Amino acid sequence: MPPSTPPAARLLNLVIALMNTSGRMTKDEIRSSVAGYDDATSTDAFERMFERDKDALRDMGVPIVAVDTGGHSQDAGYRIDKDAYALAELDLTPAEVGVLSLAAQFWQDTALHVDTARALTKLRSVPGAGDDGTDTIAGLSPRVRPLAGAYEPLLDAITARRVVTFTYRAASTGQVRTRTVEPWRVAVRGGWYLLGHDRDRDAPRSFRLTRVEGTVHPTGPPGAFTPPADVDVDTLIGLATPEPTLHALLAVRPERASALRARATTHPDHADNPVVPGRDVLRVHFTTLSAAVHEIAGYGDAIVVLDPPDLRDAVVTHLTTALHLTPTRSTRG
Amino acid sequence: MAERASERFVRLVGLVSYLETSGPVPVDDLARRFGVTPKQILTDVDTLWISGTPGYWPEDLIDFDADSYDRGIVHLTESRGMTRPLRLGTRETIALVAALRALREVVAAGGDTEQTAVVDSALTKLTAATGEATNALDVRLTVDAAPHVMSAVRTALQNRTRLRIDYVNASDITSTRTVDPIRLLPSDDHTYLHAWCTDAQGERTFRTDRILTATALDDPVAPTTSDRPAPPTYRPQGHTARIVLSSRARRVAEQIPVETTENLPDGDFAITVRVANPTWLRHLLLRHAPDVRSVDPPDLAHDVTTTARRALDAYPDPQGA
Repeated sequence: MPPSTPPAARLLNLVIALMNTSGRMTKDEIRSSVAGYDDATSTDAFERMFERDKDALRDMGVPIVAVDTGGHSQDAGYRIDKDAYALAELDLTPAEVGVLSLAAQFWQDTALHVDTARALTKLRSVPGAGDDGTDTIAGLSPRVRPLAGAYEPLLDAITARRVVTFTYRAASTGQVRTRTVEPWRVAVRGGWYLLGHDRDRDAPRSFRLTRVEGTVHPTGPPGAFTPPADVDVDTLIGLATPEPTLHALLAVRPERASALRARATTHPDHADNPVVPGRDVLRVHFTTLSAAVHEIAGYGDAIVVLDPPDLRDAVVTHLTTALHLTPTRSTRG
Repeated sequence: MAERASERFVRLVGLVSYLETSGPVPVDDLARRFGVTPKQILTDVDTLWISGTPGYWPEDLIDFDADSYDRGIVHLTESRGMTRPLRLGTRETIALVAALRALREVVAAGGDTEQTAVVDSALTKLTAATGEATNALDVRLTVDAAPHVMSAVRTALQNRTRLRIDYVNASDITSTRTVDPIRLLPSDDHTYLHAWCTDAQGERTFRTDRILTATALDDPVAPTTSDRPAPPTYRPQGHTARIVLSSRARRVAEQIPVETTENLPDGDFAITVRVANPTWLRHLLLRHAPDVRSVDPPDLAHDVTTTARRALDAYPDPQGA
C-alpha cells in the first residue's frame, strides 16, 4: 500500500494536473486521478478536502477558474488561468531583494508573517534575483506589535468589498455593541485599527482591533460598496497632531524632567518669583491644554506651573484627584 | 517542526521554476536561498520526484538527474510545465507593499538618499508586477528621535563606530553613556536603539525619543557587536499591581505592557501590570489620576498620593485655601 500523500504534495499534484489539462477537469476526474485525493474515504470527505485546497491555492495566488459548461453540475470543472498564473518579470537587484527581505521581517510576530514569508519564497524563486542582501540597510530591524485574529477576515473583506459585523467595546463608555461596517483599510499607528464606514452611525469611524471582541464576520455580497480613494487615516484615528498653541512657563526641579527640558525653548530668569528658588524656569510648548496637564502632572512635584493660570488651575485640580486614591477615612477608622 | 502545507507548496513550485532556468545547483545553495535546511531540500526533491500529471508513469513525473543528486547537486531534467514562478497572492502583496512603504519612511527619515532609492525601486517594481490596489493596509512606524540624534545614530551604525548619548530613563534620571550600537528597532510605537552599553557592560535597549544628545565617536565598536541577535519583545519583570481605570483610560492601557485586562460591569476595567520600575508607574498614575479608580497594593496608592500632596504644596496659593 502506498504511503498517504502529504498535503503539500497533493496541492502540487492538483496544480500540475490543472496546468496540463487540455480543457478542464471535473471533480470526479480530480477525485479519481489526482494523487492524494484517493486518500478521501467518502464523497463528503473529498468535497471538504477539495474545497479547502481550492481556497488555499487561490489564497496563494493560484488562479483556479471554475468552468461552467451550462450542463448539469457533474459537468462543471476547473482549470488554471495560465496567463494569470505567473509572476510578471521583476528583475530585482540583490539590493532590492535585501530590502524586500528586510520588509518581510516586519511581521515576524504577526499573522502577516505567513503571507510575507510565502511572498519572499516566490520572489527568491525568480532566477537572477540576488541571493542575499540583508546587509543593504545596515542595522535596521523594523517590527510591529503582534495582532490577534481579526486581520485576515478584515483584509479579505476589504479586498472583496464585503460588509463586516463584529462586537466592539467603545472606549468612551465601555459599552459593548455589534457594529456593521464597510471596511476600507487596516492601519497601524501605535496599534492596529480598522477604518471604515459605520452603517449604524452613517459616518466614517476608526475601530481599534484590540477592542474587537470575538470574531469578525463578513456578511452580504462582494462589491457592496466603493471605498473613498483617499482616507485620512490620522484624522480618523484622532492622531493628527495640531501645532503647539499653548506656551507654558514652568518651574522645574534641577536634574528632573529632562525629556521636557529637551523641548524647552527659553530659560528666562525669574529669580524674584517665590516658587522659583532652587528651580529652573523653562518655557515649554504644548499642543493642547489636556496634553499639557497630563504630561506635567506625571512629573509630580518636579514641576510647578507658573503660567498661564488656567493651566495651573487644571494641573492643581488634576493632582487633587490623586489624593482620593488613599482611603483616608478607613485608615483613621 | 510542523510546516504549513501552503508554505511547503510554494517552495516546491518555487524550486522547480528556479531550477528550470538556473541549471544544476548544489543542495546547500538552494537551502540558503530558500531559507531551509539542506535535509529539507532533499525531502522536497524526493516529493517533487514522485509528483506529476495523472497516470504518474515515469514520463508523467517531474524528473531530476540521479547521478547529480547523489553528488549533492540538484539538476532538474523535466518540469511538467511548472516553469514560471507563481505570482503573489493578494494578501501577500498587501503585506509586503505596506511594509516597504513604512520602511521607506524610516530610511528617508535617517537621511540616506541612496538607500531610500533602493526601497523606492523595489516598491515600484513590486507594484508594477502585481498591479493591485494595495491601500488595504497602511502602516506607519514611529520615528520619534530628534533629527540630530537620528543622524548620529545612523552614522555610527554605518561606520560601526561608538556612540556617546545623554539618555533620560523612565525614572527621569539622565546619564551619559558610551554605547556600541547594534541596530535600530523602528516599531509602531517608538523607535528603539539596541546597543551594547560599555558603562553597564550589557545589552540595553534605548528609546530614541529619550536620547537627548548623540555624538558618533571615532572609536570602532567591538568586533562581535553586529552578531548579537535582536532582543525579544520587552517583558517587564517584578511584582504585579492591579489598577482599576475608568473607560476613558482604555487607550492608555493599550499603550503599556499589561499582563491581564478584565472588563468590569460598569464600563470600568482592571489591568495588572508588572512593576519593573516604581517611578514609571507613579508617573503613569499621576498622569491619569482622574481616571484611576483604585490601585492595589495600597503602598503604591500611598506613594502616588504623597507625591501629589507634595506637588500641591509647592503652589503658593492652593485652591480652596
